[in-house]
Amino acid sequence: MNPRLLRTVGRALAVLGLIGAAVLAPSGPASAAPQPIGRCTTSSGVVLAVDFSHWGGPVYRSCGTTPTTGYELLNQGGWRTTGTGHDGPAFICRIGFSGHQGGKQYPTSQQEDCVLTPPASAYWSYWHADPGEDTWEYSQLGAMSYRPRPGSVDLWIFGGTNIEGTKGRPTVTPDQLRAHNSRPTGGDPAPKPEPKPDPARTAQRPADGDQAPSPPSEKPSEKPSEKPSKSASPSASATASPSPSASATTGAAVAAPKKGAKVVDAAPAADAEHDSGSIVPVAATAGLVVVIGGAAVFAAKRRRREQ
Amino acid sequence: MSSSPYAARTAEERTAATPDTGGRRLPRTLHPVAWWIWALALATAVSRTNNPLLLFLVLAVLGYVITVRRTEAPWARGFKYYLYLALTVVAIRVVFRAVFATGMTPDDHYLFSLPHIPTPDWYAGIQLGGPVSLEALLSAATDGLRLACMLCCIGAANTLANPKRALRVLPGALYELGVAVTVSISVAPQLVQSVQRVARARRLRAGRTKGLKALRGIVVPVLEDALERSLRLAAAMDSRGYGRAGSATPRSRRLTGALMLLGMCGLCAGAYGLLDPSAPTLLGLPALAAGSVLCLAGLRLGGRRVTRTTYRPDPWRFAEWAVASCGVLSAVLLFVNAGYDPAELNPSIYPLSWPTLPLVPAAAILLAGGAGFLAPPPTPPTPSAPPTPHITAPRTEETA
Repeated sequence: MNPRLLRTVGRALAVLGLIGAAVLAPSGPASAAPQPIGRCTTSSGVVLAVDFSHWGGPVYRSCGTTPTTGYELLNQGGWRTTGTGHDGPAFICRIGFSGHQGGKQYPTSQQEDCVLTPPASAYWSYWHADPGEDTWEYSQLGAMSYRPRPGSVDLWIFGGTNIEGTKGRPTVTPDQLRAHNSRPTGGDPAPKPEPKPDPARTAQRPADGDQAPSPPSEKPSEKPSEKPSKSASPSASATASPSPSASATTGAAVAAPKKGAKVVDAAPAADAEHDSGSIVPVAATAGLVVVIGGAAVFAAKRRRREQ
Repeated sequence: MSSSPYAARTAEERTAATPDTGGRRLPRTLHPVAWWIWALALATAVSRTNNPLLLFLVLAVLGYVITVRRTEAPWARGFKYYLYLALTVVAIRVVFRAVFATGMTPDDHYLFSLPHIPTPDWYAGIQLGGPVSLEALLSAATDGLRLACMLCCIGAANTLANPKRALRVLPGALYELGVAVTVSISVAPQLVQSVQRVARARRLRAGRTKGLKALRGIVVPVLEDALERSLRLAAAMDSRGYGRAGSATPRSRRLTGALMLLGMCGLCAGAYGLLDPSAPTLLGLPALAAGSVLCLAGLRLGGRRVTRTTYRPDPWRFAEWAVASCGVLSAVLLFVNAGYDPAELNPSIYPLSWPTLPLVPAAAILLAGGAGFLAPPPTPPTPSAPPTPHITAPRTEETA
């Protein structure tokens, strides 16, 4: 290439480097915090439910504080999502929970590469049920724009829907998932202090204890430990699960599901490990590109000489 | 069709015209279709990956092959314009991602903030402005880079293949479309040549060749020149029998037209059915097959009644097979998912991590670069004709 182009490229690289150097630490603290499921009541907190029954898993249920967005709710307490390359993180393409299959995100990369927007026949659809309502409402907003109301239920199911939301409706009812206790049950909430607490929430909340995020609620306390091992065998279909009584003991809050997957409470868990990878492949590629580019420059020079 | 000094020569002519190259392969121009197959296959392979490492590798390979195998023809000097176009694509993608914010996640690396324009509730799906994260810009850049690479593949085909000889291998039935086909195939190379001609003319007149002011002085003559040249080329083709019905009766012409139209509709429906999984299955492969059959029938019917002989046919020898199969093989390797994790083709930016370099796809792309060795060296410009074409040179090509 000509020297002018090289200079331009060099300048662009310098700017990129500056930007890279100026990168700050991950921005501000999250305004919402994960909670043990007992902390969600009929009028406070938001119940988040994710249906893994498409892959033979259960319907997980967890609790988060308000104010929050649907996205934050789905990215705390061990939950993690992946967006698409085309739409960014706001489009929920994969969902994973660190307590389910070791944090593996579904659909897997073999099923959906999450580069372009997934088809309407197989994607995570987003449903709300406001407090007191027993019908699901197809979300009219994206997860980052929607702010769930205290006491409401957010449900993510995988499958296909039509635009009106009449096909592909959830098989579980909001009643099976929502909190029925009017007062928070269980021990301490998650140790993470809220920067901007909801006044209604703080009034009901006992003093925070600085404890590890082990779920201290009485009833579901034994659940998280046995959950991963149980769901580790993907061959076992959800209905044929050998211990349906376990989910029944999860609490009075959870009614037995009519059909399909069972409902399991998901306690706040630590985030799945994130490996930022190694720089070696990048360096190797840079070397390869330099070698190929050098060969091209050499060939161009020889050609000019021959003419 | 072309009597320019850059055109391919037959074997006899070549041995007579070129001196002994000292054991190296005899220079000749490769069949244009071989270059098109190679480039389109590479573009197909690129469409599969979002991995910036693989994409940069593709760009390097394209640059190398073009450097060693391009001719000295005017259209062969235009690759940098395709690169500019590719850079524009990436820039537009990044700017759009920054303006139409896709939201910050708590783990993102904050870069800067654009003024946020609040949108009403019923329009909340689209956000204007707001915080911009490093992840958002990087994912937009890699997304744009993929399209940029595909554009560069097409640019490489336009640079390496002689567009006028490519026009010649079109099936006879397409001659009906004469002017339209000629203009559509030759418009990109024509534009490149026009830009070069206008810029050279400005240089000769000591005019400005840079900056926004010069742009206005360049754009208008370029557009005018390109259209004029395309039309002149089409007229030249027309006078040589393109777009003539030959001995066809009106009835058979209508039949050919109907077959082609139906076939094209079938192809469109089939492609749509294949790409949209929710479409009825009848719309997928069956429609595609029916469409291709109809198209082939139309082409055969149209080609049967127009008999044309070819003057100096382009040979299809080992080098053509090798170049075309290089490209096709690399595309196949990127589609079979053998020997690597398909997730590595599309590394996730959220959370930020270094991309990996899957070995098989990288090897496949380097294999496509083998076209640089397998293709014969280009014909050197004959001493009688200077390598930089003077003003009248392109005219002789068009009317040839």
